[in-house]
Amino acid sequence: MGDPVFNGGLDLGVLGIVAVKALIGFTFVMVGVIFMIWFERKIIADMQSRVGPDRAGKWGLLQTLADGIKLIFKEDLSPDRSDRLVYRLAPYLSVAPAFLTFTIVPIGGVFRGDDDGTLRVLGNDTFLQVADPPVGVLFLLAMSAVAVYGIMLAGWSSGSKYPLLGSVRASASMVSYEAALGLSVVAVVLLSGSLSTHEIVSSQAGSVLDWNIVRTGFVPFVVFLIAATAELNRPPFDLVEAEQEIVGGFHTEYSSIRFGMFFLAEFMNTITMSAIMVTLFLGGPDGPAPIGPPLLWSFFWFTIKLLAFLFLFVWLRAALPRFRYDQLMDLGWKQLIPLSLGWLLLLGAIQIGRDEGWNVVVVVLVGFGIAVVAAGGLLGAIRVADRRRDAFAEPLPNESAELTDAGVR
Amino acid sequence: MVDTIVFVLAALVILSGALGVILARNPVHSALMLIMTLFGVAVVFVAQEAHFLAAVQVIVYAGAIVVLFLFVIMLLGVDQADSIETEPIGGQRPAAGVVALASVGLLVLLAVRAVQVSSGARSTSSALDGEGTNLEKLARVLFTDYLFAFEATSALLVIAVVGAVVLARKPAAEDVQDRKGVGALGRTRSGSGR
Amino acid sequence: MLHLLAQAEPFRSPTVDFHAFAPEIVLSVSIVVVLLVDLVFDERGKWATSSIAGIGLLAALVPVLTLAVDGADRSLFDGAYVVDNFALVMKALFLLSGYVTILISARYIAEGDYYEGEYYFMLLCSLLGMLVMGSARDLISIFVALELLSIPAYLLAGWRKRDLRGNEASLKYYLLGVFAAAVMLYGMSLIFGVTGSTILTEIGAALDGGEAPAPIVVVGILFIVIGFAFKVSAVPFHTWAPDTYEGAPTPITAYLSVASKAAGFVALLQLVFIGFLGRSDVWGPLFWVLAAITMTVGNLIALRQTNIVRMLAYSSVAQAGFMLAPFAVAGDIDVDRGGPLAAIPPVVTYLLIYAAMNLGAFAVVMVVARKTRSGELSSYGGLFEYAPGLAVLMTVFIFALAGIPPLGGWLAKFVVFRALLDAGTPAAIVLAVIAAVNSVISLFYYASVAREMWMRPVPDGDRAPIRIPASLGSALALAAAFTLLFGVSNVATRFGDLAIFGFLP
Repeated sequence: MGDPVFNGGLDLGVLGIVAVKALIGFTFVMVGVIFMIWFERKIIADMQSRVGPDRAGKWGLLQTLADGIKLIFKEDLSPDRSDRLVYRLAPYLSVAPAFLTFTIVPIGGVFRGDDDGTLRVLGNDTFLQVADPPVGVLFLLAMSAVAVYGIMLAGWSSGSKYPLLGSVRASASMVSYEAALGLSVVAVVLLSGSLSTHEIVSSQAGSVLDWNIVRTGFVPFVVFLIAATAELNRPPFDLVEAEQEIVGGFHTEYSSIRFGMFFLAEFMNTITMSAIMVTLFLGGPDGPAPIGPPLLWSFFWFTIKLLAFLFLFVWLRAALPRFRYDQLMDLGWKQLIPLSLGWLLLLGAIQIGRDEGWNVVVVVLVGFGIAVVAAGGLLGAIRVADRRRDAFAEPLPNESAELTDAGVR
Repeated sequence: MVDTIVFVLAALVILSGALGVILARNPVHSALMLIMTLFGVAVVFVAQEAHFLAAVQVIVYAGAIVVLFLFVIMLLGVDQADSIETEPIGGQRPAAGVVALASVGLLVLLAVRAVQVSSGARSTSSALDGEGTNLEKLARVLFTDYLFAFEATSALLVIAVVGAVVLARKPAAEDVQDRKGVGALGRTRSGSGR
Repeated sequence: MLHLLAQAEPFRSPTVDFHAFAPEIVLSVSIVVVLLVDLVFDERGKWATSSIAGIGLLAALVPVLTLAVDGADRSLFDGAYVVDNFALVMKALFLLSGYVTILISARYIAEGDYYEGEYYFMLLCSLLGMLVMGSARDLISIFVALELLSIPAYLLAGWRKRDLRGNEASLKYYLLGVFAAAVMLYGMSLIFGVTGSTILTEIGAALDGGEAPAPIVVVGILFIVIGFAFKVSAVPFHTWAPDTYEGAPTPITAYLSVASKAAGFVALLQLVFIGFLGRSDVWGPLFWVLAAITMTVGNLIALRQTNIVRMLAYSSVAQAGFMLAPFAVAGDIDVDRGGPLAAIPPVVTYLLIYAAMNLGAFAVVMVVARKTRSGELSSYGGLFEYAPGLAVLMTVFIFALAGIPPLGGWLAKFVVFRALLDAGTPAAIVLAVIAAVNSVISLFYYASVAREMWMRPVPDGDRAPIRIPASLGSALALAAAFTLLFGVSNVATRFGDLAIFGFLP
């Protein structure tokens, strides 16, 4: 278990490999962010029949760099009523988890045939990921839980209304969608039999049919995608920074490079989440290698899959209107969580049925039957609750009591 | 050697965080210090190769519980420390000081004397023996020997949910009636249909 | 994927003896039914929840009886969960006192401004925790059971949401309860660290013998006992009791003072007489001090109370002192008189009798409060003139609590004194003298209630008779019947002798 690089004990070579891997990972993400911001602006511009950035460098490629330099040289303001220490700390708290999550993503390696994704460097076997903790997936959940702090504290420490509202919105939606996110991850873990990201990728090696997106039956993937979008606070779940309602949300008061760091964290998170989805559902760097060294092909496949998700996120932003707050909560609590929980139970039943030698078709049919009954019960309960709430609803301030009494509502 | 360094650093983080929790004037700073302590404990868990516990520590405590603390602090707006100068019952502080000193003395005595009693046979700083990972063993024990306690805990969660709803829910009917002028002594919710 | 599954040894699910769990299962089912019925029915149908809760409790009594008839001691999950005679007697006590609580709750909750379905849900959940406590024989199960019975109780204590005293009741109970749980958990972790096991019999085997107890064991036992001393409201950990009893809805006060306290004693009995059996040199003196100050302080403060609920609260503190007394001398009881384990029957007998008479007293308080809307002692003036039946019943319960023969209470006190004299050491004799003096003191405030009822005039001249609702009436009848039965027969002591542990270290 774990990265084989540590099997022979700790020496200078091992430390060097770990350091180089961390450096490569960091560079990958940073370059990715620079590219992603340009990519997003260009794609959206295309979708809206605009040109987008095209002055700095070829096709505007250096636009992000120019923006970054501008941000660094701007004045760093902090509001009078802010809590200085926390105000300065918050941007770092949102950048750190974003990068740390990326460390568990295998970005390459050959998993097909007899290979298990190791690469021989300077006499040491190593995985092509910065770290492979035995509880990799839990590490992902832990980091996404910690990511709340950056936003929450940024909003609070600014000492003004709109940031506070924005941060309360952000933490509420992140906490709400974490349950659905976790439940769909459990489905993956159930089928792969391990929490380590490396093992999860190994278990998907082979063909497209072995990928978890197929084996878990698409539903956990869809739930994960939606929940991840909400966790990232990206459109259509970007109530956190709904300009019409709460100005800029949690980063209203921030300026200069601290403001830039929040954006860095946001785009880092987007890339990391896409990479995690590639790892969990799309077989990571797995793919056919028709010609040439398979290792290069693994990088290629990983990048292609990553780009597909990045494009998807941009597309969602261009195409969908923003959710209302109660719709956000309804979708999270009343639809995604029951759906992923029910699906997880179904997968568990199939798994047990396989162990016990039951007929898969019967298990699936019975499982679906129970799921339908349970869903009916849940819907009934929600409807009863809604009706009761309506019956007890307080009349709106501009509505006269007589009207309510007469039943004219 | 590495173990010792990690332990000392983690212990410093834990202790300074714990002190910060009680010494910080601002409740939000206290909560942040609490997170620091929890992370320090998670590091100690990792050093003991209890990765699962470390991850759960971060997810549950840092990720859920302290977030809720902060939520409450933010929503209630208790940013400033309350004045705790007034004492309803005299003599509490000296008494608390004596009790605290006695407890510290007791714990020091324990730490000194306990070395000879606890052999440390069950708690070693490496993975458990036998086949499978720590995680697997934990899961097995949880779903065999401690299955009953585990299931009973689920009942506890249902109670917590219902209790939270009961505490938070406003009895809407009376409020509406109050506003219509029926008043508090009018028909009550449950008295109406009987 | 397949190679990963192949390397792990196959998971064998534990075998579960469902007959042993039947009471808990029946209760869990009725909990779910109550919750669903509450969801579906509107306000007019809420009365059904109390009926379902009551029927569920009686139904749970059936498997307790079949298990008793079966007679075999069952041990599940490596001895973490045990169904023996002790567990069955205690479960029957919990279920019956829970049933009486529901009887006295029904009208109170329905007529007041309360959430009804959730109330019975909480009550049943708390009782489920108590059933689990009766069988829990390892530290983890005991802790889970304690939380399961306490958390609903914290909520129930504050059920009068818009009454400030209700909020105070709930908050004090909650904060002190959680603090006590933390202290107890620390003690448990120390004991686990020393013995390497959470199973009580294994802890008992590991702690048995040895010369002087190690300090870590002393502190562990001390902390665990202190944790449960909060639960049974022993002085100096009783401070929550009067305020909570006064602010909580009266049926919940009755429930807390009887069932919740009994659960605390059950846990103490199991921990002390299975886990720490060999270490009576540690807990003996501890319980001696607790028992002596608990009964003395409880009685002395009760003397000064003018509110009957607060008076009963302090009286229940004092009664807890009597129940703690057998613990104090258990280590000194000779082997030919039964050894330390001979201290268990007096405690169990006391618990059974105390449950009957205390529930009865609270039922009368509730009936009277329906008319007078007051808990003041003075409002009982001249009760005999307009409600002679109630006055007689209250007198029965009050004098039973005081320990006057031939009512139940005297037998309870008698078995405790016998246990103290059986031990025969000077410390035991001194404790017996303290207990005797306390019995006399308690007579003063119990008699003052009787004096109000029989000799004083009616305070406001309102002599309209009190109408007793059927549910309250049957609760009164049950309590009175048991109080008298326990006094004139040896039923209670028979059950006390029956309640023995099936598995010892």
